[in-house]
Amino acid sequence: MKLHIQKAERCDREVLRTLLIDAADQLAGEGSCLLELRLPWDGNLILLADTRARPILISFDPDNSQAALINGLQAADRLAIALPWANKVYAPLQNRQETLKLIVISDDAPPGSDAVLAGNPGLTLFTCKVLRVNDDLGVLLKRIDRPIVRSDLAAVPTPEPAESTQAGVPVDETLPSLSPEERLYFRQL
Amino acid sequence: MTSQPSLALRPATASPGYPASEHDEHSGTQRAESGLKPGTADHRVILFLLDNPGQAWISEALSRAVAQRGQQSLAVRLTPGRGETADEAVAATLAHSPNPGTLRLLTTTSPAVAQTSRCNHIVLAVPANLSGIVTAYRRIKRLADTATPNLGVIVMGSRDQHSAWRYFRKLAVGTLRYLDIPLLNLGFLPARAADHQGDTGLARVGERLLHCKFHSQYRPDRPGTPEPATE
Repeated sequence: MKLHIQKAERCDREVLRTLLIDAADQLAGEGSCLLELRLPWDGNLILLADTRARPILISFDPDNSQAALINGLQAADRLAIALPWANKVYAPLQNRQETLKLIVISDDAPPGSDAVLAGNPGLTLFTCKVLRVNDDLGVLLKRIDRPIVRSDLAAVPTPEPAESTQAGVPVDETLPSLSPEERLYFRQL
Repeated sequence: MTSQPSLALRPATASPGYPASEHDEHSGTQRAESGLKPGTADHRVILFLLDNPGQAWISEALSRAVAQRGQQSLAVRLTPGRGETADEAVAATLAHSPNPGTLRLLTTTSPAVAQTSRCNHIVLAVPANLSGIVTAYRRIKRLADTATPNLGVIVMGSRDQHSAWRYFRKLAVGTLRYLDIPLLNLGFLPARAADHQGDTGLARVGERLLHCKFHSQYRPDRPGTPEPATE
């Protein structure tokens, strides 16, 4: 049997979503599970949990890496605020309040990817190519290496877990999110 | 029906958020000696908003440090009970140790408690990393939702003074630029009590707190408020 491998001319976002879910083990590790097929925010988002009960947010765009990155960062910020709630809703997270990881996938590296990766240890970038193998579609994922590892930088700002001042009565400990200007300012020291 | 304690909060006499003159002649000892008379004067309170419960040693060590300067002080964890507001919890701590001359160092890890306590002099213990700075900024942003407190910062776990200054400056420029809130640099301490070598850092922070008169003044001036007793 001959294999005819060629790059797919154009990939529909929903097709790519399916391919990425199929490749979840490669992205989030073996044994990862799907929490949400899509999230109600801008961009193309998928929410997974890995075997260590960490929430993994995937933001992808087949042909606009900048949009994938910006939408991913925005969604990560929103999700970080909602993390105490998410930990209660999604059983695979085991209410362990683990830090959110963000994976951004597009056809190319987003602009300034070196600086973005250096400032966000919790961020992973992948490039993807959708291939047609005979009559089937597959996705080729390639991780973009991290140029600098800086242990003192935050992945994604996360709120503190809800604290109780009395048994059974949670106090709202939600912290406000950062505006884009603030986020830019606090990106690095 | 029992009456609820009510507290009126007044700003401290020093310029809020800014250090007093280097030549301020009031030492901690002098202020302790001229202590406020029980039952008629304000209680002096500093609220420590800690990054995590493991930092509770800070207020206890600082309490000892300022005591060495002749200032009576007491470190108390602020934990509002069931149905109790943060203000009522503050009142309870004042009632349990009623000498108003004592400087109360109250600690909490809860921004919500800090926000509702009406204590307008708050010290933040900020870990020396970018994540710690961002979290501190978001906490300050939350505090600024309802009031503009006077905020002091202790940088925790920095390598040296220069490194601590860089972290403080990053946070202070951010709060000034985006929230219009100045911060008072109180110095730096090691991340853990076990790493502490000597009391130089603590003495410096304690001296700064006393020198700048960085405290809130609570006055129990409404009917129904328990009258402070002498110790």
